[in-house]
Amino acid sequence: MDEIVKELVEVCAVDELGPGQSRIVDINNRSIGVFNVSGNFFALANLCPHAGGPLCRGQVTGTSVADKPYAVSWQRTGEILRCPWHSWEFDIATGKTLTDPTRSVRTFKTVVKDGHLYIETGASR
Amino acid sequence: MTIDACVHPLCAHKDDLRRYMGEPWRSRSFPGPERYFYPVPTGEYVSEEGEAAGNTVAADPAKLSREIFGQEGVDKAILVPLTRGVLPDLDQSMAICRATNDWLADQWLGRSEGGRFVGTIRVDPREPEQAVAEIKRWASHPDIVQIAVPLQAQRPYGNRDYLPVWQAAAEHGLPVLIQSDGGSSIDYWPSPVGYYKLFLEYATLYPINFSYHLVSLIAEGVFDRLKNFKVIFGDGGADLLAPLIWRVDKDWRPTRSETPWNSQMPSHYVREHVRFLSSRFEGPQDDHDWKTWLAVSEMSELTLFASKFPMWQYDAPSSAFKSLGDKERHAILETNASEFYGLA
Repeated sequence: MDEIVKELVEVCAVDELGPGQSRIVDINNRSIGVFNVSGNFFALANLCPHAGGPLCRGQVTGTSVADKPYAVSWQRTGEILRCPWHSWEFDIATGKTLTDPTRSVRTFKTVVKDGHLYIETGASR
Repeated sequence: MTIDACVHPLCAHKDDLRRYMGEPWRSRSFPGPERYFYPVPTGEYVSEEGEAAGNTVAADPAKLSREIFGQEGVDKAILVPLTRGVLPDLDQSMAICRATNDWLADQWLGRSEGGRFVGTIRVDPREPEQAVAEIKRWASHPDIVQIAVPLQAQRPYGNRDYLPVWQAAAEHGLPVLIQSDGGSSIDYWPSPVGYYKLFLEYATLYPINFSYHLVSLIAEGVFDRLKNFKVIFGDGGADLLAPLIWRVDKDWRPTRSETPWNSQMPSHYVREHVRFLSSRFEGPQDDHDWKTWLAVSEMSELTLFASKFPMWQYDAPSSAFKSLGDKERHAILETNASEFYGLA
């Protein structure tokens, strides 16, 4: 019987991925985007749940918010990822779309240990 | 119980309205109610001979009452007066609206028909200040249940210039009927690609203009702003809604940052805020497909029965929607309207 085991895979040294930076890594034939948002690390599958676009190659940006029509403000700069194919917006921290009902991209846990950044990913064995 | 959500009462003579106008409007000429562009080739009204002619019946409360309540078994009818006329003068247009409203209240409402006639007031939404004042003037009248504006417009109705009018309507709990009527008061190109030649084209295509207003109202956040704002499209459109609203939903996700005030998928606003009169209710030719079509289109939940008496497209209440199941027929002929308008 297959057993899912957690596996830590190193991405890079922590100081190679500064705030606002991101990179795409291949782990077990899976493309994953790793993001540093103000010192916090997040990892998302590089596969948009909408149409399969390379989500993590999209723009890291903010979004517009309005309490009422026309009163638009720009917020959350650096926290939002916009798919390069159809512009769906995702919250990098949760992997969820900003639109309701939400859709989610798969997220992976990140771990910082001894100055290195790892992604926790499952592997069948 | 049967509710007829649209009957058009007529002035026997258009100049009768002058009694309800002060000067300078009383002595100024204005056009009659007949359609200016694209007259109906077979005549504007249902055309029985003599005293039974539709336009004769619809100009007399007692006769109309016998026709609609007596012969056709309707229990409540919403009267929608028309203000047709090609009138660039906004102030004259509002003067005609005010006179029409006074005429309706004086001649048709609160009479011996046992409260079975309820009424619609007309405003010209291009003139928000006067339109709002007119809404306030009628808001406490017990028999006024809605406000009517033309489908024709210089700008789509989500535009912020109209907001005070919709705000007044929502504040007073009066739904807004958007229905083709010359009272715009200028008639524009009937399609974005210009003038068509024939009435067939007008009849088929003109109602599609509802889609511009609907998407505009959603996109500009009018429903987010005004929770009590309700709209009825009087020229039908429930049968065209499904593919349109699928498209809006689809396009909304990628463009959401342009309309961050939209708190939900565009389609969600429709059920809460929008209904259609039954004048268009098209569907598949094969009867076997109707059950699926009704489920997909949600037409039977969104449609309010309207006979449109005495106009050419009259749909007799006693025989309307007989081919539908009892549940759908009951919804269309009664509960959809009673719930949306809050009619007892």
